[in-house]
Amino acid sequence: MSLGEVYFTAAQIRHRVGELGAEIARDYEGRDLLLVVPLKGSIVFATDLSRCIRIHHALDFLQLESYGRGTGVKLLKDLDADIGGRDVLIVEDVVDTGLTLNYLCKTIRLRAPSSLAIVTLLDRPYRRLVELPVRYVGFTVPDELFVGYGFDLDQRYRNLPDLHVFRRDRGHVSLTDSRAGRRASR
Amino acid sequence: MALETHDFQAFRGTEPPRFANRAELECAKILDYYGVPWEYEPRTFVLEAGEDGRVLEAFTPDFYLPEQDLYLEVTVMKQSLVTRKNRKLRKLRARYPEVNAKLFYKRDLERLAERLSVNFEA
Repeated sequence: MSLGEVYFTAAQIRHRVGELGAEIARDYEGRDLLLVVPLKGSIVFATDLSRCIRIHHALDFLQLESYGRGTGVKLLKDLDADIGGRDVLIVEDVVDTGLTLNYLCKTIRLRAPSSLAIVTLLDRPYRRLVELPVRYVGFTVPDELFVGYGFDLDQRYRNLPDLHVFRRDRGHVSLTDSRAGRRASR
Repeated sequence: MALETHDFQAFRGTEPPRFANRAELECAKILDYYGVPWEYEPRTFVLEAGEDGRVLEAFTPDFYLPEQDLYLEVTVMKQSLVTRKNRKLRKLRARYPEVNAKLFYKRDLERLAERLSVNFEA
């Protein structure tokens, strides 16, 4: 397996996730916190983050249909929980243009949560097209392709503990005609 | 270039859009897919005018997103080759500081299309 260099080590990620968890615990103390996790890329981050939030909270999951399979976004898996009146925190792996997350926020707001905010491990704010309630950011990153720590390439590499960067011109993988999971590059 | 027709749901313009290339069509489809209202080339900005008022340089961004009050210019060129479009954007911002405009790169399209290589020449 040939991967690009490590961009963030597992230890660096663990430290930052711990800081995020402590900050979220302070902000949501005494509130009805629900972590909403879009599948699949966010799951590694979400499970680590959840264990760092030392207040009572719940987890729920949803999955959006991939682009190109219909005329509009559809939920492949909806939330199990009723989110009305609850404090919803969407746990994302990466935010860039924000178009997908914007759709998700609109959908969730229709269900009248008490509050809605976003925590993301990685952020590319310079690529943002729509305004989003991103309250917590792990790392602001350059416009690169990442794998590991939940980020995949054709459903591979999610399990790697470190976050690696692929550079398109180094030939670590053949990108041409490759179809990758959106989490790897979104 | 004959581009496929598409029944757009989030299009907010009046005249049916006539896209100049495949990348613009792909961008429109993606905006539509994610339910982001859009217009196609609704406004031309004068960047330079002669003393007689004649327009010397103008810029018509490809898309306008009314909910975001944002103009988008699509480019499928490599980011190192977008100097000309960036220069136009800088001139636009200097002359119209109230206007919000961004470049929409090939990589943005690829990310949203969930693939690493989108063939815009097809």
